[in-house]
Amino acid sequence: MTQCPECEAIVESHDMVLGEVFPCPDCGTELEVLGTDPFAVQPAPKEAEDWGE
Amino acid sequence: MSDGFRLGIFVTIIRPEEKGILAAADARGIPVQRYDDGAVTFGLERPEALPDVLLNRSVSHTRSVYATRCFAHYGVPTVNAPEVVELAGDKILATLRLAERGVPVPRTEIALDAEAAMTALDRIGYPAVLKPAVGSWGRLMAKVDTPEAAQQILEHKVALGAPIHSVFYVQEYVTKPDRDLRAFVVGSEVVAAMYRRSTEWRTNAARGAVTEAAALSPELDELARRAAEAVGGGVLAVDMLESPRGPLVLEVNPTPEFKALTGATGADIAGRIVDYAVQVGRR
Repeated sequence: MTQCPECEAIVESHDMVLGEVFPCPDCGTELEVLGTDPFAVQPAPKEAEDWGE
Repeated sequence: MSDGFRLGIFVTIIRPEEKGILAAADARGIPVQRYDDGAVTFGLERPEALPDVLLNRSVSHTRSVYATRCFAHYGVPTVNAPEVVELAGDKILATLRLAERGVPVPRTEIALDAEAAMTALDRIGYPAVLKPAVGSWGRLMAKVDTPEAAQQILEHKVALGAPIHSVFYVQEYVTKPDRDLRAFVVGSEVVAAMYRRSTEWRTNAARGAVTEAAALSPELDELARRAAEAVGGGVLAVDMLESPRGPLVLEVNPTPEFKALTGATGADIAGRIVDYAVQVGRR
């Protein structure tokens, strides 16, 4: 487990993979998995203008 | 699979779609070589240890265009092909190609200056839709009801600064049921389709549209496949709507999301994508 860098809530891994994006269960901030062992997260990259499908 | 075949995947972030693709590759015993679009660099010489095929899942159109070209430079086939990424990722180029191939699309005008865009809007008639050439999820799209509203939106777009915001894609606002259709094409087949319903005029799943599995009529199935083929084929999501004058193709998306479609239909889309990529890599 680790802490959300925004609200410091405890965030657990649940078999996440490197680069996976998920919302913090407490504050909803989009987080990106920075490492799996040890588990580490950072705020997910902000949506850029040319992002899409 | 134990013959050394390797799948490359080019990603920005790992969403449920990419996680599904990684799981599908793992279930098939295919090793995956991952490239993060913000970290990778490309030299001119062919590096060692390249994958047999590269599946592009970057959410950035710009990075997708250059990365698929670089992998093609090394002789690695990509899904989708660079030409498909360039064409389908740009609404203007894609619409031109669809029209050239006789695929029905909404009435559209392209203008390269804000004043010319006002002329284009007058020709299309109000209400009309302004769309950005590149980028999606419904961002920077506007339904304009009056010339006054159009003038203000055009001024704002120009003020954004980048030259691409002074290229205007003007389209008729098509009266339609409260739904549109998405057909997911892999190779020559529609592997799943869904309706997207919304009380808003934009029906992107990313904007919270409600989704439901759709059984396509033979006419719509053929239209989706024709649209995908028109831009070069591959893994493509074709967005269509049912207009009073028949079905129209709105967009052909070259890096499609499919979480909502998988949820609505239960189709193993990630698996189909991996199988198709392997097929391309073995050609």
